[in-house]
Amino acid sequence: MKKILFGLYAAFSIALLVWAFELAVNAPAEMMQGDAYRIIFYHVPSATVAFTFFAISMAGSIGFLVLREKSPVKALAWDGWAVSGAEVGIIFCTVVLVTGPLWGYRAWGIWWAWDARLTTTLLLWLIYVSYLLTRRFAAGPQMRTSSAVLGIFGGIGVPIVYIANRIPGQHPGPVFGGDRSSGMAPEILRPFLWNMAAWLFWGILVLILRHQYELKQQAAAALEAEQSLNA
Amino acid sequence: MKKAVAQFATLVPIALLVWALYGLYAAPAEPPRDWRLHMTQEQHDLMVAPIDHAFRVAAYSVTWAIQLGYLAWLGLKWSAQKPLAGQESR
Repeated sequence: MKKILFGLYAAFSIALLVWAFELAVNAPAEMMQGDAYRIIFYHVPSATVAFTFFAISMAGSIGFLVLREKSPVKALAWDGWAVSGAEVGIIFCTVVLVTGPLWGYRAWGIWWAWDARLTTTLLLWLIYVSYLLTRRFAAGPQMRTSSAVLGIFGGIGVPIVYIANRIPGQHPGPVFGGDRSSGMAPEILRPFLWNMAAWLFWGILVLILRHQYELKQQAAAALEAEQSLNA
Repeated sequence: MKKAVAQFATLVPIALLVWALYGLYAAPAEPPRDWRLHMTQEQHDLMVAPIDHAFRVAAYSVTWAIQLGYLAWLGLKWSAQKPLAGQESR
């Protein structure tokens, strides 16, 4: 039953992405930026999903640190969400860091600027890359604890990146909740929101798959430890 | 069959990346900085439209290359893990 539900969810997510792509490609042209402005339909939702997943990773890290002594089994499940959120978040953040310069080159004539938003996003990406590297290369039982601490620091970085958008610089200010000039034309807002929903659904799909993989990995590691104890 | 699927899943992101890079490489040249001396706004817009299009296609292709590449990598790791899961049931 679970598999059928997951299959339906996956099919729905893919259909939503196709629909959102159709809307993005056929959205009315923007006067100043031509076709290049349509990059925001992938860039902004990817940033939103990345930040949401980094927040999930932080929650997982906190859960792990709180429960690691009281209930190690539950703590491992939280740790599974922490690593899954971080890894899938990095994937979306990478999309942000690649599509951003492609748009920036057309809009500003430069690939990159060391302004607050871009720099803090790059730093956030680096924190989570180091999180994954810690998990990959740190040995022993402290690996999860060290990476959880790093995951919390990364999570704290998310609101900093969000606030950095309000510091004047090369990057455009917030589209929503900004000053009076912020906002979107309704005919552009519609495809934008559909793309936001589609990427969120797709992100959750990938996150669930990554979490399932992590649970299997944990089970395999526990089995291996048990076998080596019995040997 | 599994091997073919794995190869396909790996090739698609690579093909998308190559497509994105080729699109940027093959995009027409930018108009000169002093284009206002040589052409009208309409002529300029017509000239930059294919460049904007190439950048949009590149951004979308790279996005899908990253997403599908990650999914393929996850799939490969998952399938490599299966023998261990099999041991558990024995």
